[in-house]
Amino acid sequence: MGKQGLERRSFLKVLSAGAAALLGLWPRNRGQASDHEGVSEHSWVMVIDQDRCIGCGYCTLACQAHNDAPPNIQWNRVIKAGKVGDSDIYLPRPCMHCDHAPCVSVCPVKASYKRADGIVMMDYDRCIGCRYCEVACPYGARAFNWDEFVGENPLVPEWGIPEVPRRPRGVVEKCSFCYHRIDRGLAVGLKPGEAISATPACVVVCPVSARVFGDFNDPDCQVTRLLAANPYYRLREDMGTRPRVYYLPARRAETW
Amino acid sequence: METTGRSVQRPSLLVGWIGLLSVVILAGVVAGGIVFKEGLKVTNLTDLVPWGLWITLDLSSIALAAGAFSLCAAVYLIGLKEFAPVARTATFIGFIGYSMAMLCLLMDIGRPDRFWHGFVFWNPHSVLWEVTMCVGLYFSVLTLEVLPIIGRTKWMYRAFPWVAERLTGLHHYAPILAMFGLGLSLLHQSSLGGTYGVLQARPAWYRPNLSVLFVYSAVIGGIALTIFVSMLAARLTTRARVDDSLLERLSYFLGWALLGYLYFRFWDTLAMTYTYQPGRTEALQVLTRGSLAINFWVGEILLGMIFPVFVLLRSSLRNNPFMRMLALGAIVLGVVAYRWDTTMLGQLVVLTYLPNEIVARYTSYVPSLVEIVSSAGVVAYGLLAVTVGVRFLGVVDHRAEAEHAEAPLEREAHSMRPEIAGAD
Repeated sequence: MGKQGLERRSFLKVLSAGAAALLGLWPRNRGQASDHEGVSEHSWVMVIDQDRCIGCGYCTLACQAHNDAPPNIQWNRVIKAGKVGDSDIYLPRPCMHCDHAPCVSVCPVKASYKRADGIVMMDYDRCIGCRYCEVACPYGARAFNWDEFVGENPLVPEWGIPEVPRRPRGVVEKCSFCYHRIDRGLAVGLKPGEAISATPACVVVCPVSARVFGDFNDPDCQVTRLLAANPYYRLREDMGTRPRVYYLPARRAETW
Repeated sequence: METTGRSVQRPSLLVGWIGLLSVVILAGVVAGGIVFKEGLKVTNLTDLVPWGLWITLDLSSIALAAGAFSLCAAVYLIGLKEFAPVARTATFIGFIGYSMAMLCLLMDIGRPDRFWHGFVFWNPHSVLWEVTMCVGLYFSVLTLEVLPIIGRTKWMYRAFPWVAERLTGLHHYAPILAMFGLGLSLLHQSSLGGTYGVLQARPAWYRPNLSVLFVYSAVIGGIALTIFVSMLAARLTTRARVDDSLLERLSYFLGWALLGYLYFRFWDTLAMTYTYQPGRTEALQVLTRGSLAINFWVGEILLGMIFPVFVLLRSSLRNNPFMRMLALGAIVLGVVAYRWDTTMLGQLVVLTYLPNEIVARYTSYVPSLVEIVSSAGVVAYGLLAVTVGVRFLGVVDHRAEAEHAEAPLEREAHSMRPEIAGAD
């Protein structure tokens, strides 16, 4: 029994040593999942005015063309959301780019991550296709590539020219706020939200200007002014996800 | 081998069984090949129900492998030394269970070529990352625990005495391995429930109970499967020897543990009935009177809990081998039913996100033929591996001396390390 007791004590020592070793291995500098990676002077948000949206679905098509998404994957869906008076109300739904994004927290390999400017990114080279993010997203914003997208994109070139590579079979994809347009625009001194080529394709194509994109850190930006002057809401605010897509609710049919 | 003719009680039964399993495995390999070639479009999974039969089989395999860590902890940490030979059986079953789970996951992830990403690209925030790391590490622990079993075989001693000695020597570290195994298993067995439990977007899952229920049911199911396999093997072949007093005591313990499980599961379900919560209330209806109702009431509650509690807590029924095996098999089925119900529950009811209209919508999922056949292949692989273990590795040998001395072998293999024979 004495020998056994001694052994047990040494096991406990091994256990604490092992735990300490594991803690030492813990990657400290990678930041928490909900932390923003790096620093940025920008904070991108999108405002969607439901009073203006007519449900034409151009945003969906332009998005699919510019991002070269297959016909069965819509990053940007337009949903019928009831009526005000006699007119139908629509709810266009891109990725919410939540500040507390469940998809970022649950991704086992950090293939989903948050940029300092607020954009929730997908690293298609890292994604293992486990689909946990799909299960975790409350907005259904994510789509899995069940099959490989081969052949021509039927929406090209009518609705736009692809600006990003196609995603391989077996990874999850979603709306990226057209980060490539923002980054390329900023690189040549354009202002996203104002300059067409630096603004998300869905915002540019909208025929009734229901979508506005801009920098929430810029007090003169249109999104900042709109949100200061109008009542707005975000989807499932009760969940604490803090989406970056703001909706201006439809008020009365005659206001339009 | 000169012993072959003598020891196989019913060679035709064994050959037939292995033949049957081989056919199913072959079909499973073909189905798996289709999955890897064609991708996951051959499944009936969708963006709304992205997890299905494979995940259920993965969760069930891991749950039913939990006998390994529970019994090893009982033997090496609590000090119930007499159960050491049963722990050996459980360890082998656990090893097979985890390999089954990994086969399922390999098919289930969209990019099987990137299975290693979890070990390299860490997201410590993700429950699934923690599960990946723990399963990977624990599989290594199980491998180290199983190697002495292979090292002890007569064949190994004949062919590679030096290797056999080294492998057998690993048994010296069994207590340390048991300790790591306990830690890793408690972490990921509960985290598998947590994987579902942390998702606020899925009200049917979003509660802390799932972690507790997962680890609790895994311990019960894992021990039940270990006893069941031991008893079945002992009835089919002279290669397997059991000490029924050990198995009877374990079964009695299971009876009481099941009562506790019934209590927790009851409150887990009842708590969901209080007030209307969109999604959760609808899911509860799916569970209790919808498409999962038979699975829940018959599979989980009646067969999985009430019947085995009744059998295992009554001395007369428990000591009837047939009734006891029936009860143990029912427990195993109940655990699998629980994993299926839980996996489906959070996905069959989906919440909308429209303002002022957060309502539940229903989805459906029935696995495709490819999913079913490939899963059957994985199960058949597990059964074949256990058969091989019983027949050739002597994993079901519960005689008192089997664990440490390995009496019949020691006489033939002269160079058994002294500390193995002496270690207690």
